Amino acid sequence: MQKYNPYIISLLFVLSFLLLAFTLHYHAGSAINTQQIDSTEIAATVEMTNTMKFNPDTVIIKNGQTVQWKNSSLLAHSVTGDPSQATIKGSATLPKGADSFDSGMMDPDQTYQHTFSLPGTYQYFCIPHEGAKMYGWIIVEELSKNNHTSKIIIK
Amino acid sequence: MNKIKNTFIPGIMTSLLIILGIIGWAQPAQAQGNPDEAQKMKMLQEMAPYKGYLKAHMNIPPQELLGGPLEVEITQKSGGVFVILPSKRKLDPYVFGTPQVPRALAGTPGINGLPPGVRGINNGQYTEMEKPSPFGDKNIVMGNGKLDIKAVDATATDAGKTNDEIKFMASWQDKQGNTYEVRCCGMLAAHGVEYPTFGGVVTNTVMHGSSRIGTALMPTMYTYFAFWGMGEIRKNGDVLDKPRLVHGMLTEYVRKKDYELAFDDEVTPTRKHFHLMVPPMRPEMKEQKFVHEDVKTGFKLPNGMELPFWHVMFENLEIDADRR
Repeated sequence: MQKYNPYIISLLFVLSFLLLAFTLHYHAGSAINTQQIDSTEIAATVEMTNTMKFNPDTVIIKNGQTVQWKNSSLLAHSVTGDPSQATIKGSATLPKGADSFDSGMMDPDQTYQHTFSLPGTYQYFCIPHEGAKMYGWIIVEELSKNNHTSKIIIK
Repeated sequence: MNKIKNTFIPGIMTSLLIILGIIGWAQPAQAQGNPDEAQKMKMLQEMAPYKGYLKAHMNIPPQELLGGPLEVEITQKSGGVFVILPSKRKLDPYVFGTPQVPRALAGTPGINGLPPGVRGINNGQYTEMEKPSPFGDKNIVMGNGKLDIKAVDATATDAGKTNDEIKFMASWQDKQGNTYEVRCCGMLAAHGVEYPTFGGVVTNTVMHGSSRIGTALMPTMYTYFAFWGMGEIRKNGDVLDKPRLVHGMLTEYVRKKDYELAFDDEVTPTRKHFHLMVPPMRPEMKEQKFVHEDVKTGFKLPNGMELPFWHVMFENLEIDADRR
């Protein structure tokens, strides 16, 4: 009968244990990510006002999160992150490769949501009030393992 | 479209002098018994700049627009409006010059010129008009704004008659649910004596500011469409005031951040909005002039006074225009 080297067997046990531990840790991390970035959950709400402001004007979210806009004013507004619809240079700027977004005209009390899937800074505007400089900004941060559920809103 | 009969509104632009009633310039001078100022005003009215031009045009048939009549439709179906409140207009050096080299003195003061006496000065520059006017920055937002315009620009020049047409309706609501409405035009201003009205409806021209067509207190602005006519003021369906001069225009965007009224170099040429103006003057048809009289708007200001004019901005517009 063939004899096995006990040192080799011990080493194999240790390696197997390490492999198992790594695998469990990796999958556990993925599960946490999946649980905590739910694109259907609204990470922040921005209101549109009678004074032609997005309030807050700047929102910081994590990649994959969703922002909701609510027209809380008596005026019709739009949420337009589409450079092709801007008539003033720089009214809408997107990270390279990001999809444009546009709510169309929103009557009072209407809402609009958009999920951001690429990190970077997005500048958007309101079409009828572009001349009045009604601008807003969304800063989408990379997902990090240690702080992937945080959200910061700057007023 | 509502066909408007050819109509002559006498002296309509001379009577815009009455706007001085708002800015409080002419009346104090007269009240103080200053015959020189009063006499100057009378002479200026009699010497209205377009009277000579009108002499050549009063007896001609309406001249056709180059390229033929242009039909215009403008609507706002939803969203609010900006109602402009009396406030002091900052004075644009491009339009008004400086105290050393003043501009916008031509024509009749208060119409398309502004008297030096009501111009504030600081550090050798004009600052703001010293009296409130309908052409400042203050405003409130009211809801449920609706606008419906169907117009035809057919007549090119001022004349005794016009083939221009317009049907105009605008309304909006305050917080209490009261509905304010302006309808126009039973008559069109076929001509003006201070500046032309192009038969009552005009398209594709420059107005206000340095143009001398309309008050210099508004910025110089490209005007896609404008009209002058006589209409009526309603509140909750009841007619409060008629006939009133009604002026509307679709222009490039002349407001900036916080809705402050732009100077000429701050206009946004790539966006549009619609202005409705009902100034505080009433026509005296027999005398072919207007007299100062606040508009019965039915809307109370926070100080309890009734807003004496309507200056309302519509910005959620659908616009269509075609040659007939």
